Amino acid sequence: MIEVKDLVKRFDGFAALDGATISVPAGSVYGLVGPNGAGKSTLIRHLTGIYRQDTGTVRMGGEDVWENTALKARVAAIPDDWYYFLQSTVRDMMRFYRGFYPRFSMERYEALKDVFRIEEKRMIRRLSKGMQKQVAFWLALCCMPDYLILDEPVDGLDPVMRRQVWSLVLGDVAQRGTTVLVSSHNLRELEDVCDHVGIMDHGKVLLERSLAQLQDTTVKLQVVFREDREVPPPEIPVLHASRIGRVHTLIMRMSAQEAEARLAAYDPLLVDAVPLTLEEIFIYELGGVDYAVKDIVL
Amino acid sequence: MNYRDSRPIYEQIKDGLRKLIVTGAMAPDEKLPSVRALATQLSINPNTIQRAYNELEGEGYIYSVPGKGSFASGNTGADEARKAELLSQVRELLAELRYLGVSNAELAALVKEEQA
Repeated sequence: MIEVKDLVKRFDGFAALDGATISVPAGSVYGLVGPNGAGKSTLIRHLTGIYRQDTGTVRMGGEDVWENTALKARVAAIPDDWYYFLQSTVRDMMRFYRGFYPRFSMERYEALKDVFRIEEKRMIRRLSKGMQKQVAFWLALCCMPDYLILDEPVDGLDPVMRRQVWSLVLGDVAQRGTTVLVSSHNLRELEDVCDHVGIMDHGKVLLERSLAQLQDTTVKLQVVFREDREVPPPEIPVLHASRIGRVHTLIMRMSAQEAEARLAAYDPLLVDAVPLTLEEIFIYELGGVDYAVKDIVL
Repeated sequence: MNYRDSRPIYEQIKDGLRKLIVTGAMAPDEKLPSVRALATQLSINPNTIQRAYNELEGEGYIYSVPGKGSFASGNTGADEARKAELLSQVRELLAELRYLGVSNAELAALVKEEQA
């Protein structure tokens, strides 16, 4: 379980994090989204113990992260700007990681050789960007982490490799109960891999829910009323309404059954509930709150 | 799984498994793939798959044995909600068929044909 409470971090007076609070249940995959500069990476650097918070708490499994070596031995991270030593090969880096992570598994290292197919004697800095990222996954998974922190992890990976690394990560979640926190801009992909989502903006967390909860409490309905109507009946609480011809598209914050029951009172010709994608949920939930948020769902 | 499908993933999993069970592609008491196997194979969150399994169990399509896994149930007559849902779908189809000029006699013949 990862718990961040009222986290504040200022750089030269600028509050990169302004009271951010998240809670990631153990064994879940948590997607952290938000526009550029929202504070995702800053938050992640607190989780990996790189930054020290001004105020607030950063805890994993009930322990504070800062300067906690025993805890950090159980946390593996892939930052967005990874670092490999000059002249180092995959094997060199493996030795380096092995020295820090007591649970480093050579068995896994050997098994993953077949998956990534990167010559371990090659110099990492001579590899392509995508291959360097593959090396990062290779090493991180060998650490047998309880917590896996990923900052835009699959950027630069080809479609086959994307699925490959997700399958490895999710296998670990199912088998070992690894807790994963992932920041990403790819909402379509997050929908498959995450079970919890948090959205950040301006150093705060605007919304945090389980995916199931999000999808069960928001519904999109296509409705045709018997009489020609300009707008849906005013008694019906809608988040967003639009109209093409006689078909009204209504976004409502309730379950599909409840929405259909409420509309049935108007004896409509047609009511069709369409599930919302994560992208749509974000657009409608947050479109009114802040325009910058809208930009992430491109 | 269809990536263009906008329905929630767990519903797609539920529908897929339900189809396998109803059509007999999965025999009664046959073991379903484990949550872990499905998660790695489809690159889908294991908790999402567990949720689909739990709901299918609630609807009576599958049963689970602790420590052994989930299995397809033999009888699936218990699910009233699903029955109602399917009947409303049939009604929609009937409305469209009538619109296209298919007569009641033809529809009745179709039902008979399916029985045989």
